[in-house]
Amino acid sequence: MLERGLEEKYYILNLGPQHPSTHGVLRVELQMEGEFIVKADPDIGYGHRGHEHMAENRTYLQFLPNLGRVDYLHALAYNQCYCMAVEKLLELKVPERAEFIRVITCELNRIASHLLWIGAYLLDLGAFTPFLYCFDDRENILDLLDRVTGSRLTYCYYRFGGVPRDVDDDFLAGCKAFARRLRSRYRDYENLVNKNVIFLERTKGIGIITPEQCVKYGLTGPMLRGSGIPYDIRKCEPYSVYPLFDFEIPVGSTGDVYDRYMVRYREMEQSLRIIEQAVDRIPAGPIMAEKVPKRIKPAPGEVYVAVEAARGEFGIYLVSQGETAPYRLKLRVPSFGNLSILPEIAVDTLVADLVAILGSIDVVVPEIDR
Amino acid sequence: METKTGEPLIHLGVLEEALNLARANSLWPMTFGLACCAIEMMAAGAARFDLDRFGAGVFRPSPRQCDLMIVAGTISRKMGPAVVRLYEQMPAPKWVIAMGNCAISGGPFYYPDMYAIVPGADLLIPVDVYVPGCPPRPEGLIEGILLLEEKITGRGRLRKFRDVAQ
Amino acid sequence: MLLNDLTQALGRLNLAKVAPGEYHKSGCHLEVEAAPAQMPEVARVMLEQGCFLESLTAVDFPEHFTLVYHFNHFRELCRTVVHVRVPKEAAAPTISHIYPGANWYEREVYDLFGLTFAGHPDLRRILLPFEADFHPLRKKFAPSETPADA
Repeated sequence: MLERGLEEKYYILNLGPQHPSTHGVLRVELQMEGEFIVKADPDIGYGHRGHEHMAENRTYLQFLPNLGRVDYLHALAYNQCYCMAVEKLLELKVPERAEFIRVITCELNRIASHLLWIGAYLLDLGAFTPFLYCFDDRENILDLLDRVTGSRLTYCYYRFGGVPRDVDDDFLAGCKAFARRLRSRYRDYENLVNKNVIFLERTKGIGIITPEQCVKYGLTGPMLRGSGIPYDIRKCEPYSVYPLFDFEIPVGSTGDVYDRYMVRYREMEQSLRIIEQAVDRIPAGPIMAEKVPKRIKPAPGEVYVAVEAARGEFGIYLVSQGETAPYRLKLRVPSFGNLSILPEIAVDTLVADLVAILGSIDVVVPEIDR
Repeated sequence: METKTGEPLIHLGVLEEALNLARANSLWPMTFGLACCAIEMMAAGAARFDLDRFGAGVFRPSPRQCDLMIVAGTISRKMGPAVVRLYEQMPAPKWVIAMGNCAISGGPFYYPDMYAIVPGADLLIPVDVYVPGCPPRPEGLIEGILLLEEKITGRGRLRKFRDVAQ
Repeated sequence: MLLNDLTQALGRLNLAKVAPGEYHKSGCHLEVEAAPAQMPEVARVMLEQGCFLESLTAVDFPEHFTLVYHFNHFRELCRTVVHVRVPKEAAAPTISHIYPGANWYEREVYDLFGLTFAGHPDLRRILLPFEADFHPLRKKFAPSETPADA
């Protein structure tokens, strides 16, 4: 706890766990001197649901829907990581068409997650119009994914060895139509947000994170790329069929809030490029591996698999002892490490800047609390 | 008019019906998203599934300014006291919608050895409408709000004089 | 090559095991086993080489806990896993003075397993309520309160 001494200069302010910025239930205890923050202490755990304990009490297949609820905004990447971990232990080879379908749906989900982040972040900063525009674009993606997965938000679409349902030509044509539509909206976003004087004043030069801090705190994702380090698991430790596609990694230069915003904004265009290339080159073939065991009982061993989610590196550390349930399943979520830097960069900032910084970290609190 | 906080002290007759109509058509929800269902609540308030056309689009951040609490998401043990405190801070008449399976009964996180969650919002606060789903579609939430309006006014949507079972 | 640099640097520390791992099977390039007292030195070596702490967790076994650290590098892929065997009721040394990011990870391990870290600046619960009196991820665990309590 922060010291509550007899020093009358400081004022303790409680930010959360229920507050208007829609990141979930996060509480930050602020010790303030006037409007400036002296100490910020995040208090997490308000969304703790016991995923890791559930993993030890569930079979591998029964735990699969949980992954969609860990980070519900990019649920397909989390599904993919878990499926990859179990497939590695079972030594299953996923057919190529299934890998293409996984990549297309995962990248669509990434764009949806970034769109929602842009809308919610600008709502934090006080602008309501981008929220409506982003949610409208996001609804188009959700229509596409709803056709093929059956859900709008917490997907559970991948299975061990592939995907359960195939995509049809309407879906592929819809992906291309969506790409055209989103590209036609860039002008609106540029004029509304990227060139907006108030937005630039509130985000440039705020919340600067140096590359050394990135190493010490283990930051990943757009937090890291905003500071200039081009680390993206899709390029640095490629998985699935990402090596077949041609895309760039947007990188910032100063590491401030504006750079992190621009990294996420430009990542949407790169995801569109991946989707278009995948839709053009998707091969015909089976969507499920042959000989997937009915009872999933991987051989004893341990495995660590990481994927690039919208928030950073999501890793699964899975220890199996030959049972039907994992012995230990650790979810390495990106927001946990990303949020731990807040006490350091929040010192000597205004409360309004703290809201901008906290939003730019892109936390999803149920994933921190698991 | 009956709320869960008890019978009113004064019955105002026909004026009460007019008041209930006003309350039902202008619900002010609180932004109380806990987990995944919060996103669907936000989507219900966005442009496609506009909640504002039902009068319920003014999301207020402070509990002292709203009369509807949509519990959207899982209530963890740490969050339980905060939910009760927020409910007590709302002025009467107030209503609660439990949105999503987690708020109804613990949802997918209810299993024999569980330790982390409160299995259902109605263990903490009185709930008026339950909206099932994981997460429920925004249309489901809209249906829940319309059902709540029926409950408040005591009449069907088409204003026919029919019994609405309480 | 980073793998060789790491193997050399860690080889000077007299650890129980420093061996290349099978990446396609386990996801790690280098597998290390260390005693608890050697862990701060290992962390210092990893930081000098520029590695970041990817993950820190514990696994509960009947006779001991195993702390598992994963390190990786931003410029050149080389995942190192470090296994540290800690007897039950013993404390492990903290590495939060070397890697500040480990601060929260160690609090989480304490919260879920009850494993204490000697030298940690602020070892308190992070996920469960502060007044909870159990550690959920210990095996053969029984909840101390019934679920219906609020």
